Amino acid sequence: MEACETEEIIYIDECMKLALEQANLALNNLEVPVGCVIIEDEKVIAAGRNRTNETRNATRHAEMEAIDILLEQWQRNGLSKADIAKRFSKCTLYVTCEPCIMCAAALSILGIKEVYYGCANDKFGGCGSILALHTSESGGSTRDEVSQGRGFKCTGGIMAPEAISLFRSFYEQGNPNAPKPHRPLAPSI
Amino acid sequence: MPSTDRNIDKEEYWKIIHIPDKAPIPPHLQPTVNAYATVINPKHANTLIRRLNKIFPLEDLRHVKRICKKCVEGNVQLLVILCLASDGSDQSENIPSEMVELIKSYQLSTFITKVSKYAATSKEEWEEQCKLWPTSYHPPTYNIDGITGFSEENSQSVCEFMKLAIDLAKSVDGQIVNAAVIVNPASNQVVARSCDQVFSQNNPSRNSAGEGYLEPCKLTSSSISNGLQTYTNSSSNSSFNEQKRTYGGVSCLHPWQWAEQQSQASCFRHPFHHAAMVAIENSAARDRYLFPASEHIVDKCWQAEVMDSPSTVSPSKKQKTETKVEDSGIQNSEHNACGSMPVRPYLCTGYDIYLVWEPCIMCAMALVHQRIKRIFYAFPNHNAGALGSLHRLQGEKSLNHHYAVFRVFLPESILDRDDVVTAVSGSDKNKTHVL
Repeated sequence: MEACETEEIIYIDECMKLALEQANLALNNLEVPVGCVIIEDEKVIAAGRNRTNETRNATRHAEMEAIDILLEQWQRNGLSKADIAKRFSKCTLYVTCEPCIMCAAALSILGIKEVYYGCANDKFGGCGSILALHTSESGGSTRDEVSQGRGFKCTGGIMAPEAISLFRSFYEQGNPNAPKPHRPLAPSI
Repeated sequence: MPSTDRNIDKEEYWKIIHIPDKAPIPPHLQPTVNAYATVINPKHANTLIRRLNKIFPLEDLRHVKRICKKCVEGNVQLLVILCLASDGSDQSENIPSEMVELIKSYQLSTFITKVSKYAATSKEEWEEQCKLWPTSYHPPTYNIDGITGFSEENSQSVCEFMKLAIDLAKSVDGQIVNAAVIVNPASNQVVARSCDQVFSQNNPSRNSAGEGYLEPCKLTSSSISNGLQTYTNSSSNSSFNEQKRTYGGVSCLHPWQWAEQQSQASCFRHPFHHAAMVAIENSAARDRYLFPASEHIVDKCWQAEVMDSPSTVSPSKKQKTETKVEDSGIQNSEHNACGSMPVRPYLCTGYDIYLVWEPCIMCAMALVHQRIKRIFYAFPNHNAGALGSLHRLQGEKSLNHHYAVFRVFLPESILDRDDVVTAVSGSDKNKTHVL
């Protein structure tokens, strides 16, 4: 039993290391260093990293990038939306930082099975830090059963120091695209 | 599932209401705390207040006035707050020893009074608070336009852009969807727009992914109304009183239903392609198109320096400088389309978004990330709304950006394809109302 648990911990860390590689890739491209991988049946089926600066779209987080790869691929292969939903319900996401409120909501919409994350996200975390969107009660109105949100299992703190140290390197080198603080760009009318 | 409030008075239509950061509490239900108070001799007022502020400063109750004048049978009485009291009835036990001495030396008789726990956020709250014990009230000085009210002109353009969004929401064959229009309010320019695209739709307008951004063009109010049908007030074939509608095609109302939904003649595209998400991507695509090279970032830095350098300039002067910079940018883009570029904004900083329905939490957070300044929506989303219905993202203090949220009150019948829409012609219909 214990050997089994140790094996599982090693497996989780191995997956997180792949996500950290993606985060490192983001760092090298002057992006906020967050990376992720999606695993199905113990196989890595997609990887993603932050691309917000490159795309000038602040919603292009690692999770969104990885999910889009799968959606495109599965649609190209002719999977129906029911098939696609079924595949996602068997997937586990490993991401170096707690999914933000947007990504946590998106993962619930997608119906992902499970999420492992590295460090917590005190500013916009959607899996417990600011909101807890992974718990099924928080999504959808209870009066309307059909639109009930789906929860997912969520475990944090996997190789958190490694994830944090990447953030530190990033802020030391500076975010070239961040606005200067307190600089209103559009005038008030 | 009601999507709109049916009992809105007709007079309320096209009113613009600010949706505040906190759920409003009725003024008479504001939280209070107990405090010890006493009647004092006016001769001692100065000395006592000074000593009280030393012994027991009202740190967390700065809005509460220490001293209160009261007329009792023609005589003026002075009352002061001594210190806070615990909720329990046990008097004297929780009074600090220094206070006990003070009470003794001036032979004061204490009583317990209620004072408001938090500073008033509105005149109504303040009036209610003063019935308990006087407080001070500083009307909020917001830095986002509209929270303190809209000018006639601004509210007119808000309504025009909302009409554009409504028109988009009805432009899809077969069903009503949500629609988003991103606008630069400084120039009244539409930056991007989109309908829901969870399913692909037969849509005549250019809303396919990557094409919904608009090349620079100034949208005047006449060009807006040209793009819209003119509605007339005929109640003959109104479906206003039909059974509740569910609006199955509106993604933000049913975010979890993408896998189950039966849709005719439309194929599944992407579970996250809600109108706001696609509009954000379209605005990003426009940004990449208008400012393809990094050289413009140099321009941006230069602009930033121009704006930042006169640190001694007063705020109002500074604002004028910025307005000029932006104006000249717009003029450049108008007079010399391929010449000097308008100022490249950071994401959607300073921009507004018009949505027919209150966004779900995914879209609402996406709009935080993209730095939208103001959100206008017409219909609340009781299923999954994140701006007041289920969550209130604009009030989450930890976020690094905060937008202001407004609701434009509209009759549900405006969504009917061919009939009844209350025309916004009279200027009196456009009165701004701020809660």
